[in-house]
Amino acid sequence: MLNSFIFIALPYAALALVLLVTPYRFLSNRLTWSAYSTQFLERNILYWGINPWHYGILPILLAHVVGFAFPGVFKRFLGNPQTLLGVESVLLGLGIFAVLGVLLLLLRRVNSGMLKRVTFSSDWLILYLLLFQAGTGIYIGYFMRWGSQWYLHTAVPYLWSIVSFQPQIEYVADLPLVFKLHAACAFLIVAVLPFTKLVHMLYLPVDFLKDPPLLYRWRSK
Amino acid sequence: MDVRAQIVMVFNLDKCIGCHTCSISCKNIWTDRQGAEYMWWNNVETKPGVGYPRQWEDQERFKGGWVVDGKKLKLKAMGKGPTLASMFFQPNMPKIEDYYEPFDFDYGNLAGAKESKDQPVAEAFSQISGKKIEEIQGGPNWDDDLSGSQVYAAKDLNLKDKKVIESYDSMFMQYLPRICNHCLNPACVASCPSRALYKRGEDGIVLVDQEVCKGWRFCTSACPYKKVYYNWNTGKAEKCIFCYPRVETGQCNACAHSCVGRIRYVGVLLYDADAVEAAALKGDAELVEAHRDVILDPRDPEVCRMARENGISDQWLDAAVASPVYALVKEFRVALPLHPEFRTLPMAYYIPSLSPVLSTWGDTHKLLEHGMIPALETLRVPIGYLASLLSGGNEGVIEEALKKLIALRVQMRAENLRLPADPALLKEAGLDEAAAKRLYRLFTVAGYNERNVIPPQQREEQDPERRKQEAGFGILKKTRGGAK
Ligand code: HEM
Ligand code: SF4
Ligand code: SF4
Repeated sequence: MLNSFIFIALPYAALALVLLVTPYRFLSNRLTWSAYSTQFLERNILYWGINPWHYGILPILLAHVVGFAFPGVFKRFLGNPQTLLGVESVLLGLGIFAVLGVLLLLLRRVNSGMLKRVTFSSDWLILYLLLFQAGTGIYIGYFMRWGSQWYLHTAVPYLWSIVSFQPQIEYVADLPLVFKLHAACAFLIVAVLPFTKLVHMLYLPVDFLKDPPLLYRWRSK
Repeated sequence: MDVRAQIVMVFNLDKCIGCHTCSISCKNIWTDRQGAEYMWWNNVETKPGVGYPRQWEDQERFKGGWVVDGKKLKLKAMGKGPTLASMFFQPNMPKIEDYYEPFDFDYGNLAGAKESKDQPVAEAFSQISGKKIEEIQGGPNWDDDLSGSQVYAAKDLNLKDKKVIESYDSMFMQYLPRICNHCLNPACVASCPSRALYKRGEDGIVLVDQEVCKGWRFCTSACPYKKVYYNWNTGKAEKCIFCYPRVETGQCNACAHSCVGRIRYVGVLLYDADAVEAAALKGDAELVEAHRDVILDPRDPEVCRMARENGISDQWLDAAVASPVYALVKEFRVALPLHPEFRTLPMAYYIPSLSPVLSTWGDTHKLLEHGMIPALETLRVPIGYLASLLSGGNEGVIEEALKKLIALRVQMRAENLRLPADPALLKEAGLDEAAAKRLYRLFTVAGYNERNVIPPQQREEQDPERRKQEAGFGILKKTRGGAK
């Protein structure tokens, strides 16, 4: 029952939401599409929170995504125990970095006069979800060793089965509870993404790298 | 040659009385909104002073504008790689304390307070947190008129000799009204990774597309004039829009329209877009001349031909000929760019202020040289100070402009009092009588239509749909903070 909820109902609900609501928001109200920065009002703690968080979480997220997309490459790459140890240590370090960052991001919003004005329930929601997600991630990384190996044999085939609409939850059904919570929280984050400021991660501008510095707009041209 | 048109404002600093009417009319129209309380698209500073935001001229701190790197221009703040790495945190962005925490007063309490022995007062509260503010820490013109202050004026970076402001004999004061300069080489535009900022091809107005802006905030620090503001309520950047909905219909900007001192002139300049980069690469002292070289003569038939090729209408070419801005900047060479050494080629020009004309302190200020009017060397405002503000340190440029203004004054005083005039003085300053008459007219009695020559743009005929959407800056959709 719990398994079908976490591994079938949740992911499909999350997929549906992210695929339908995101374009809707993009087309109907782009004015709210931003990271909604609060640096202007408070920058000292933000500095120590936002940098560790992003520099920690982005490589980890990338590792998850690339592992999902190209499991074969990863299997070969991680075949060497030395590499495996190196990769796991780095990812664990980044994870700790990220958790400390998101913890600061949470704390700075507590009891801050001006920030209160720009803090909404969705901000608390995503910060708590991300803290939980990163926290369980570290726990799994430390106590359930060689996650980057078994991830490729359990979660990855399971995720492929989800996206190909033939859910096979046997791959993950027998894993410990903490893994199930980690997965459930991930689906929740994906589900709330289009409703919150998390949409900012879908928009990393890169065009400017090749553009000339000045931009003109002509009415006639 | 790539001829383009730019709509430009000139400020005659001699005539600014520091009344802030311009700031208020701008605020009432454009920034009387949540998140924009602290934005003063038009502000008026006391100089010497720290300005708004505090010490905006300090590019070692805010890293605004461009620097020359070998034979190339680059943004002072960072290149493209570091831009990507700074997406999460803006190292050079001003914080709210550099402006002030916006406040209002609880006027309701005046009428609604319970009966008591004491008079009710309207207490100040923060417009962000809503909390009571015991002691207001700052405001948009917090050092207004404090040009002798050791706390503020002494921190003015243009003031090399701080002793000047320590004594009543030598201290001086002037006002500096500022808007966005709608630069030819805008650093704000170049810094935006989302490419939300753009310069309009037709009239050169620099705008932020609110739908494209993702709130990365590089522009707020890249603009060396600190004229891009971050709206904490919408999470996006905003800036002076040169009142484009007014300008497009041939009316002048709200600030210029309401200016009590009638210090402002609005008109068209034609410029060569191909020459902009080379001009910005010049050395500090040559920058004012480089500005003038980029500006083209609207009476030159070749310029007109190329302008027409680029779609500039005859109406605009006529306006360029009649432009008071062209006269003041290029013909008479008395209007100078503010801090040209930031290399954005700012398109707002300032006529430097003369010093007060004193009548009784003959000995102290050696007034008798030209009758009542102080000579160049005895002007109270140090030339070096003006040079630091308006010519990239080139004192010759300032002297040239001041000489003209002084000669003009001497000439007109003689005329009014029917005294013998000294034509040599005019000639030495590079003016003749006809030129003096024109300048005099522009500076004094010129009416609205002479001070503002703004060709309408007939946008309603070009793209009525978009025009309808754009006119009016107010954000109508619900933003994140819930404000309408
Ligand atoms: C694509 C690359 C990304 C960029 C350029 C980026 C940029 C930003 C920026 C500019 C802020 C605002 C910081 C401020 O308040 O000034 C922010 C906030 C935030 N980002 Fe990202 N981000 C990215 C990816 C991500 C990812 C992948 C996640 C999570 C999985 C994430 C989670 C957050 C959260 C939770 C906040 C809010 C922090 C708070 O308001 O307390 N970001 N991000
Ligand atoms: S003055 Fe205006 S156009 Fe120039 S850099 Fe600043 S915001 Fe941009
Ligand atoms: S309205 Fe005119 S005179 Fe008054 S402060 Fe503004 S620019 Fe100066």
